[in-house]
Order: sequence, then structure tokens, then C-alpha cells
Amino acid sequence: MDVFFQILASGLTLGAVYAISTVGLALVFGAMNMLNMSHGALMALGGYMAWFTMTGLGLPPVAGMLVAVLVCAGVGVLIYLLIAGPMLRSEGFETRVFIATIGFGAMLESVILMAFGPQPKPQPLAVQGGLSVAQVHLPVQNLLILALAMVLMAALALLLQKSRIGRAIRATAQNRDAARLMGVRVGMVYALVLAISGGLAAVSGITVSSLSSLLPNMGGDPMLKAFIICVVAGLGRVPGSVVAALFIGLFEAVVQYTVGVRFSFASLLLLVIVVLIWKPQGVFGRHQGVRL
Amino acid sequence: MTAMRRDLLLCGLFACAALFWPMISDMRYSVTQTTFFFIWATVVVQWNLVFGIGGIFSLAQVAIFAIGAYVTAMLGYYLGTSMLLAMPAGAVAAVAASLVLGIACLRLYGPYVALLTICVSQVLYVLIVNDTDCFTNPPSGCMPLMGGVRGFSRFGDLGFRDWLGAGFYIGNYYVGLLLLTAAILFSIAIIHSPMGLAFRALRDNPVYAAARGVDRFRYQLWIFGLSAFFTGLSGAFYAVNTGVVGPVVFSFQHLLFLLSMIVIGGIGTVWGPVIGAAVLMLADEAMRELGDFRDIGMGLLLVACVVLMPRGLTGLFQDMARRFAKPADTEGAT
Amino acid sequence: MSDDLVISDLAAGYGHQSVLHDLTLRAQAGRLTAIIGPNGHGKTTLLRAISGLIAVRTGEIRLGADRISGLPAEAVVARGIVHVPQGDLLFPDMTVLENLRMGAFLPAAARQEKTVLEEVYTLLPKLRDRENQIARTLSGGERRMVGIGRGLMASGRVLMLDEPSLGLAPIVIEQIYEVIAGLRRAGRSILLVEENAMRAAAIADQVHLLDHGTLNWSGTGAELSGRPELLETYLGV
Ligand SMILES: Nc1ncnc2c1ncn2[C@@H]1O[C@H](COP(=O)(O)OP(=O)(O)O)[C@@H](O)[C@H]1O
Ligand SMILES: [Mg+2]
Repeated sequence: MDVFFQILASGLTLGAVYAISTVGLALVFGAMNMLNMSHGALMALGGYMAWFTMTGLGLPPVAGMLVAVLVCAGVGVLIYLLIAGPMLRSEGFETRVFIATIGFGAMLESVILMAFGPQPKPQPLAVQGGLSVAQVHLPVQNLLILALAMVLMAALALLLQKSRIGRAIRATAQNRDAARLMGVRVGMVYALVLAISGGLAAVSGITVSSLSSLLPNMGGDPMLKAFIICVVAGLGRVPGSVVAALFIGLFEAVVQYTVGVRFSFASLLLLVIVVLIWKPQGVFGRHQGVRL
Repeated sequence: MTAMRRDLLLCGLFACAALFWPMISDMRYSVTQTTFFFIWATVVVQWNLVFGIGGIFSLAQVAIFAIGAYVTAMLGYYLGTSMLLAMPAGAVAAVAASLVLGIACLRLYGPYVALLTICVSQVLYVLIVNDTDCFTNPPSGCMPLMGGVRGFSRFGDLGFRDWLGAGFYIGNYYVGLLLLTAAILFSIAIIHSPMGLAFRALRDNPVYAAARGVDRFRYQLWIFGLSAFFTGLSGAFYAVNTGVVGPVVFSFQHLLFLLSMIVIGGIGTVWGPVIGAAVLMLADEAMRELGDFRDIGMGLLLVACVVLMPRGLTGLFQDMARRFAKPADTEGAT
Repeated sequence: MSDDLVISDLAAGYGHQSVLHDLTLRAQAGRLTAIIGPNGHGKTTLLRAISGLIAVRTGEIRLGADRISGLPAEAVVARGIVHVPQGDLLFPDMTVLENLRMGAFLPAAARQEKTVLEEVYTLLPKLRDRENQIARTLSGGERRMVGIGRGLMASGRVLMLDEPSLGLAPIVIEQIYEVIAGLRRAGRSILLVEENAMRAAAIADQVHLLDHGTLNWSGTGAELSGRPELLETYLGV
């Protein structure tokens, strides 16, 4: 029974971490059919920005979080201005933006490597200590991550469903031309979506590095896992991807406990392949790509 | 002259010119680098068939290459198989792997294929790197089944060392040239074949092509499998040529390097990938001095090319040729 | 006069293909102006050029004193030109109400959202019953009504309707045209694109015939009915 709860707790924490990194990707794909392959590098950037603000400049954790989110949101806007925007209406946008963001991510990663070096660093934006509830050990950090994920998801859902800007995002995602005819400035929407996704990447980078440590290429694996989750949910389905993230987190925790950490990534992949054969558009996907 | 004749002629000219390179270049370094160019160009010429002609946005080519390399190395290392046998075996293994992958992912929608194939190659990488169980225990230390982080070395060569002594690299050079020439001929044949035409029809008008009975899945599987042969073979030759095979061949940087070649050269053309491979290798060479800035430069080059030159260098040449040709045409008309 | 939509020497197209050329016409304020013409001759392209979805290559479009040509689509709506596109282009995963509210997205329209919504519901009572239905699941006629209602929500100065009868059952077409006639009686400026020339002639104050991307004939609806040879040559009636 203790084992069950232990797995549940670590699975939910993993799922929460994945959810934060996945919704950003799903949002961008949903709004503009763009797979942002520099998401992993943005996660690393966020993690390092928090480290730099707190350890380098000696500022409090709130500032660390804020700086990280703002810098990554800014880089998101930059991605729109320099990469996605100029090619948005051209042929083959999906493939081209995929490749271009791979290049951008590699660049960003090298910059981080040059600035901060290859040695792992601890993430200062983390809380030590733990709680023991009925023989189940729960690190405070994990509980915080879970709470943070829930708050962020709720805020995002509220933004999308209730706010004017959220309606603009959903309208653009569902029919770009129609949204323009309603007076929505789709360029602004795209820039904003990339900014939100960048901010989420920063938070996700901080949480991931708080569980392990900071490395310039730390974003690679989480990004691929986030993509696996997106694929399982159906590309661009934002609420579906949160559910899928929690499920995948639990699945991974079970695999890690039963088969071993080494095979967790491979078994995730196996899972995706099975899902895709069963439902080629993902579990929550629909044939014609209308989303959000 | 038909386009096919022209391409064949160009291929012949290229091969003949390359025959003499080791004789005029007395630097060993430039010859061995050209051998690497042959290897990478072979991979991207085949990748271009899958991506540019078949319209399959697959990122598995690096994994298929690596399978060719690993199978060859493992056959040589564990069984002492002659490389002349191990290389084709590696290529066949690559074809088999790609067919399995193709059946799993070719019915999916574009971006899903990209994500799935990139995940497959990363998982293979992770599995190899994290494998620490000893399969054998040679004097050099524990050896996991797939070589672990260390990879394989000393699994054999093509015998040029015994035959040519210190000049063995020239033997490898000509094998590489043969490989690339065959790969280009294969690519020309595919692009100008009924299959290539069918793909063009699929790309230009999928509904019409489907109505004419063009079975997209079957064609894609064919092109996926056939191109894997040369990709695997180039992996096998890479193993023999370098003498070392490690997980680095699966790495993301490597994928990025090769992807840049196709994109910068021009997707979907016969010569784009070859030009792209040459340009990227030269750029890499030029940036070697830059140290840490090299990776940044490579990324920047890729981004700039994708944003500014959607059809790559060949597209740029074509546009320029058209611009120069236009005034001449009107002159001829008057 | 001050709110006339004036198009002069317009040229527009897609990529290398030029669709409209030397097109000059005027749609008077408070009137219903119909554009007719065979399929594929550029009627939709004209509306897309006016609303800024595609670029104007040469020429000029003005609404009263405002120069519209060269503005992006989102700025054109803000000037009061509302485009109800061919095929509706609804937001398929939103409810009917959400779709209608998107019509009043711009702040000026959003301020009167409540009152205009009541007007739209009075004009298209069926929409009130369907308020919470997802647009994707509506029938063709219902979708058309949502499209028109969404256009009305913008409270614009000119309403452009692209083939409002396309693909509907005759009885639904009657309903839609009754709504359009009501808008005309209320003195709205309407630019109507219609392939069915007889229908357009019956309702329009002014009719323009578009042929291969340029203006071929203009006149009143009654004049068009008296020109059987025109109808025969261009519209196969
Ligand atoms: N998105 C587009 N891209 C390229 N050509 C188009 C596009 N839309 C329409 N066309 C072409 O423009 C011409 C006019 O089309 P359109 O304005 O839709 O005609 P209509 O509305 O009068 O039926 C047609 O020849 C059509 O093929
Ligand atoms: Mg039309």
C-alpha cells in the first residue's frame, strides 16, 4: 500500500512537470500549426535565468521566477518576429518552421553552454525538506510543483475560456481568416501565444532542474517527452494534453518502479506507437485539425 | 536533352573529376575529409528521396544510418565477419528496420511522423548509452552488448592497410566515391522514374492522384525501404572508414548537421543535397577555428537559410538563371 | 454619398495569377448593390480584396473619406466594412453564442454587444434556440444564419455577403433572402455577391456584372431583367 502511494505521488509530480512543459507546446501547435523544437532550449534558458538571478545577482526567489518567465517570453516573441512570422503564409510552413526552430534551439543551447559552462549546477529555486504522511515520504518541492501546475493550468484555462484575448486565440486557432475578419490581429495573437509558451517553458525548466540539476542540454529529454504527450493527446489539444501528461507521469512512475529507470523512455515510445496505431490522430484528436 | 540525360551527364562528370582528386591533392587531410563528404552526401541524397520526393517528413535517417554502422561493427567485433560481408549485412538490416518503422508511421499525418521518428532515434541513443550490463569482458574492460558509451573499435577493415600501407585512406576514398556515385544514380533513377512522377502527382494534386489509383502508402513504403539500403550502406562504410562506431552517430547535433545539408542545398532536387553537403562541410571547416561559436554559427546558418531561402541554394540558382535567361529569350523573339 | 464604397482601377490576384483588373465600381450608401457573374470570375476575390484578406495590387478602395486599400483585414473591419465570407467560415469548436460574440470583437462593437445581440435574435430567432450548440454540429442553413448574424454583430457601415444562398435548400434560401430584404428596408448598405442573377435582380437597387475579373455591365435590377441576352451569355439562364 505504501508503495502504491509512493508511486502515485511521484507519478503525479512527474505528470505535473510534464503538464507544464506540454501545454505550452500544445498551445502553439493549436494556434498556429507550429511544432516549436526550441522549447527544450527555452526550458534550459528559464532554469539558468532563475539560477543567474538568485545565485549570480543574489535576488529573492520571486525575482528569479519573474526574470526567467519574462526572458523566455521575450525569446518567444523573438521567435515569432524572426522565424515564424516571416514564413507564416508561405508554403510548407509546418516543415520549415520545425527545421528552423531546431536550428534556433541548437543556437540557444550553445549560447547557454558558452555563458554558463558544461558543469551541472543546482537549481536554487527549490524548497528542501519533506513531509511524511502515513509512511509515504513527500518532498515539499514535489507538492509545490503539483500546486504550481494546478494553478497554472487553471489560469490558462481561465485565460482561454473567459478573456477577450483568450477568445482571440481560440478564434485564430479555429479559423485564421475568419478571425482576421472579426478584427483579431493574428500577428499579435501568435506573438502572444509564443510568449505564453515561452513563459511556461521557463517555469517548466525551473521545475525540471529543481528535481535534477541545471545543464545546458537539460531540455532535450523533457521536450521529447512533452511531444510524446502531445502526440498521445492529439497535437494541439490543450486540455487533453494535461490529462495525457498526468497519465504519462503515472505510467512512467510505474515503469520506473517495476522495470527500471533505464527503460522508461523506451516504454513511453512503445506506448505512443500503440496509441497511434489505435488512434492515428491521438486520443483526443479529431481528423480535421481544429483545436483549442 | 532530357532532364534525366543532363543529370546522368553531370553525375558522370562529377565522378570523373573526383577520380583525380587524390592525385592532385597531396594533403591526406583533404582526401579523408572528401571521403566523409561522400558518406554524408550519400545519406542526404537518400534522405532527400524520402523527404523531398516521397513527402515523408522522417527524421529517422540518422537512426537508419546508425543501424547500418552498428550492425557492421557488431558483426565484425563479435563474429569476426569480413567487412565485405558485414557491410551489405548492415545495409540489409537498415532496410529491415526502416520497413518496420515505415509500416508503423507512414499512415500518420506529417508532423506526427517527424515526432515519432525523432523519438525513435533518441530512444535508441538512450538505450545504448544507458546500457551498462557487461555482455563480454575483454581485456579492455566491460563491453555492453551495444557497446555502451564507448562504442566499438577494431572490428576490421576493407584490407587496404595490408595492400596500400600508409596510403590506405586512398582506397577508402574510392570506395566512398563509388558509394556516392551509386547513390546519386539511384536517386536520378527514382526521381525520373514512373515512381518519381507518381510522387510529383501526389504532391501537386493528391485527390486526382488518388483517383488515378496512385497508392500513396505503397509508394512511400517502397521509397522508404529502398533509400534505407544506401543509407545503411553508408553507415556501414562510415564504420569501416573511421574504425570506430559510438552513440555519437545518433546524436542530435549529427541529425542537425545532416538536416541542414538538405535544407540549405534545396529539398526535392537531384543536386541540392550534394551541394548542401559540400557547402556545410566547407562551412564546418571554416568555422573550426571559431571554437564554441561554431555551433552557434551552424544553427544561425540553418535558421537564416530556412527563413530567407525556402528552396535552398538550388532554388536560388534557378531563380537567378531565370532572371538572366529572360532578357535573352525576349531578344531571341524579336 | 459620404458612405459610398468606391473602387477604382482595382487589380488583385493570387501569386502569379491575376484575377481582377481595371475594376471600377461604386456601391451607394443605404442601397443594396449586387455583384453577379459566372463561377470563377473573381467575385469572391473582389470581396477578399476589399476586406483586406488579399493585397490590392493597383488601384484604390475608399469608404467615404477613408482609404481602405492597403489596410490589413483587421483594420478594414475597424473602418466598418464587414465581410460575411463564402462558406461561412465559422469557428467550428465554439458555440453559436460564442461565434456571434466574436462578431462584436472590436471594442466599438463590444460596447453595444447586448443590444445588437437582441436585434440579431429578433431577426434570426432560430439562433436563440441554438445558442449553446457547437457550430460544427449545425445544419447548412443554420450555419449560414450564424455567419450572417456574426456579421451583423459588428455593427458595420457596409455589409458584404458572399453567396448567401450557396448550397442551401430552396426553402432556406427564401428565409435567408427575407432577412436580406429586411436589412435593405432598414436602410443598411449591402454589397451582395450572388451567382443566381434572377435572385439578385429581384432584390438589388444596382447590379454589376463581373466578367473575367472586370466590370462588363451595370444597371438596375429591373434593367437586368429586361436584357435576356446578357443573362443568356453570361449566366446561362
Ligand atoms: N486561394 C486561391 N489561390 C489561387 N487562386 C485562387 C484562389 N482562390 C481563387 N482563385 C482563382 O481565382 C479565380 C477567381 O475565383 P473567385 O474569386 O473565387 O471566383 P468567384 O467567387 O467569382 O466564383 C479563379 O480562377 C480561382 O481559381
Ligand atoms: Mg465565390
